Amino acid sequence: MNDAMTQNNNPSPPASSGGSATKQATGKQLVATVFILSVAAKLFMFPIYLIQSTGRDAYIAMAVAGGFDLIMLGIVLFALVKSGDRDFFTLLTDTFGRTGARMISAVVALFMFFKLNIGVAESLLFYADNVFTDFSVSIMIFVLLIFFISVGMHTLRAFCRLNELLVPLVAVGLIALVTVVAMTGYDFGNILPVMRNGKAFADGLCEHTAWVGDFTPLVLFLGRTDMKKRTAAFVAVGGTAGTAIAVFFSVVLCAAFGNVPILVDTSTNVPSILQFSVGNLYGRTDMFSSILWSVAAFIGNALLFYSTCRCVAFTIGKSAHMIIACAVCVPMYFIQVFAMTDQTLFSTIVTSRAASVAVPILAALIPILAVACSLRRGKNNSSSAQASGDAEVVSDNGENGGSADPLAKRCGTEE
Amino acid sequence: MISARKKLIVYKVIIAVFAFIVAFMPSTVLRSREANSRVVVELIGVDGGDKVSVTAQYVMPTETQGATSKDVVTVSANTVTEAVELLSTALGRRAELGHCSMIIVGETATPDHLATLMTATDVTADVYLAAAEGEASELVGDITEFMKKTGVTDADFIAYGVNKAHIATNTLLDFLCDIGSASRSSFLPIVEMLEEEGSGGSGGESSGGGSDSGGESSGGGEKSSKKMTGMEINKLALFGENGRVGIMQEKAARGVAWVSAPIEKGILTADVDIDGETVKNVSARLLKKHVEIKARPDKSIKITIRAVIEPHGDKFNEVDSRNTAEASAALKAGFSETVKSELVAAFDASVEQGCDVLFIGKEFYRHYPDYFETEFDLANTEVEYEVDISVK
Repeated sequence: MNDAMTQNNNPSPPASSGGSATKQATGKQLVATVFILSVAAKLFMFPIYLIQSTGRDAYIAMAVAGGFDLIMLGIVLFALVKSGDRDFFTLLTDTFGRTGARMISAVVALFMFFKLNIGVAESLLFYADNVFTDFSVSIMIFVLLIFFISVGMHTLRAFCRLNELLVPLVAVGLIALVTVVAMTGYDFGNILPVMRNGKAFADGLCEHTAWVGDFTPLVLFLGRTDMKKRTAAFVAVGGTAGTAIAVFFSVVLCAAFGNVPILVDTSTNVPSILQFSVGNLYGRTDMFSSILWSVAAFIGNALLFYSTCRCVAFTIGKSAHMIIACAVCVPMYFIQVFAMTDQTLFSTIVTSRAASVAVPILAALIPILAVACSLRRGKNNSSSAQASGDAEVVSDNGENGGSADPLAKRCGTEE
Repeated sequence: MISARKKLIVYKVIIAVFAFIVAFMPSTVLRSREANSRVVVELIGVDGGDKVSVTAQYVMPTETQGATSKDVVTVSANTVTEAVELLSTALGRRAELGHCSMIIVGETATPDHLATLMTATDVTADVYLAAAEGEASELVGDITEFMKKTGVTDADFIAYGVNKAHIATNTLLDFLCDIGSASRSSFLPIVEMLEEEGSGGSGGESSGGGSDSGGESSGGGEKSSKKMTGMEINKLALFGENGRVGIMQEKAARGVAWVSAPIEKGILTADVDIDGETVKNVSARLLKKHVEIKARPDKSIKITIRAVIEPHGDKFNEVDSRNTAEASAALKAGFSETVKSELVAAFDASVEQGCDVLFIGKEFYRHYPDYFETEFDLANTEVEYEVDISVK
């Protein structure tokens, strides 16, 4: 099922025509996606790096990053409500014209690709250090690439269905982990005193801003989600709950390592929490608990991959999704194998000034852009409701009310 | 035809099964396939000094189906990581440290050695620690002999024994966390092996050192001539940032256990005064305890212990037979006094040895960091004890 870029000669269809039947994602699926995104990246290396740089105040830095992301989620939600039936690319085209939209799409693609590489590197580093210690990363990554390509070839609807199936597993696992940790008891007093070294905290926070922007891929849900009356409220609750869980685990890690931040490494992140809680009398429970967030991380990365592919497709004006997915995988493979899985290089790249400045700016700009385009589109609609547009719509093949064979009309060289 | 809803349930079940397989595969399927290329190490001993010495008790499969035998090997190197690599060389297979359940810390080992074990090897952060009064290699050898004799298969039995003995325990991460805290101090229970009388060594209740080799060592050690009859865990080894600073004797060690350890129904004894008469060694089982250490604005500290005990035995019956209400009050007073005296002994020993194992400094740092950094002095800290014992 390939996505296609369809000519939409009726940019503002009546509400009835844009009903849930033609939407790619339901409100429930959006809540599930937001929950996964809120925990996926924040349970991996992020708390570890924060503890290494800010010590026992790492949970505060995590809360600040989570708060920033929740604000961005609020902006995306506003755009989702205001965008109506127009997707992100259509809104960009309406606002900036075809060339401008493609340029912006290229920047968004780069942003998504960078975030994707951070996420994938974290997954690979964990598995290389803890689970498959004798297994080469250059081979291990192929499993992930195959999964990504299959996601890239399929529709947003297929992704959302997959996500919907996995979220209960992740949620139950996380709740069980929170319960065990709360019952067995850490010395949470280790997180005191608060902010004894303000400069280290500020430096640490500023160096690790490349981890924000977890909800940015949601702009791909614009115009493709069945937003009901309370969907936005449920999404906000899902995002807040996920962020609260991430902050809670950061508190636990700070309680365990706040006195000895130098001991924190890739082998002492969230799955180890269970091992610390219940002791080693029951074997390597950390291996088992790794399932909790691994699934979330894979899904989060898959959405970033999907977003990258769709942005590339729009930018180049082609919808050969399998080829684009494979083409995105090639540089990712080399970046991962030859750069990002080297922990020092990974840390250098991710905490570089360029990444620390560019990522949060883009993470904020993209949702704001979506809102601006949505509002402008609303204004235009009210002033010229009857006008026909010349907009592009990136939609999934035949699932968004597109024409039977839209690709030939829309893409690339024909334009 | 299966409905979409049923299909969804089937998919969920398939994904859940797949997820569990993925979760368990690394630790079960892969490991078992590589069993012949690995040796599982259950117990590690670490000694410092000019060179770092690592002693490993490892499990070897025998010809009998499902049976294993234990042996010990000791290697020395300049660093812990080098020594761990040498272990694999000495054993001819990769030494698997991820399943190690106990580390014995020798007199000359330092927290740095343990930090390296945690960060640079497969040793997990939650592994239990115990201390040897002398060299860890000797104690590992003795424990191995004891385990062979009694058929104990898991080194966790030491942790079990420690909990029952009302002695504070510590795990690797907690130990390093304590050392890294503002108190810069920590403790480990000292394990001593009991020998059969006249079997060599010191010939008394405990070996405490003075014996040869460490069991069957492939590194060339001799077979021990000692006959181990059991373990004794009464004392604590005290540690500072640079290594061991002293040993805390039994009474003070029990005081530390009150504030620092999760205790699993240990046995307590106290002298109880009733009707002007002292009944000695009344025993009780500890059922529950709650500890609070609170730094106060007047820069004094208050240690509050609330415990529930269940007295038993003939001495208790002797007390209880007189008058229930009066006996209960006497028991409370007797046990409260004992607990308080143990706490006082622990604090005095802490001050004397310059090792804050009640973590009073840490408490001040948490709530009054400026005071801690400028004025705090453990020796001049006023401590108030409040002990509330309930008799079940």
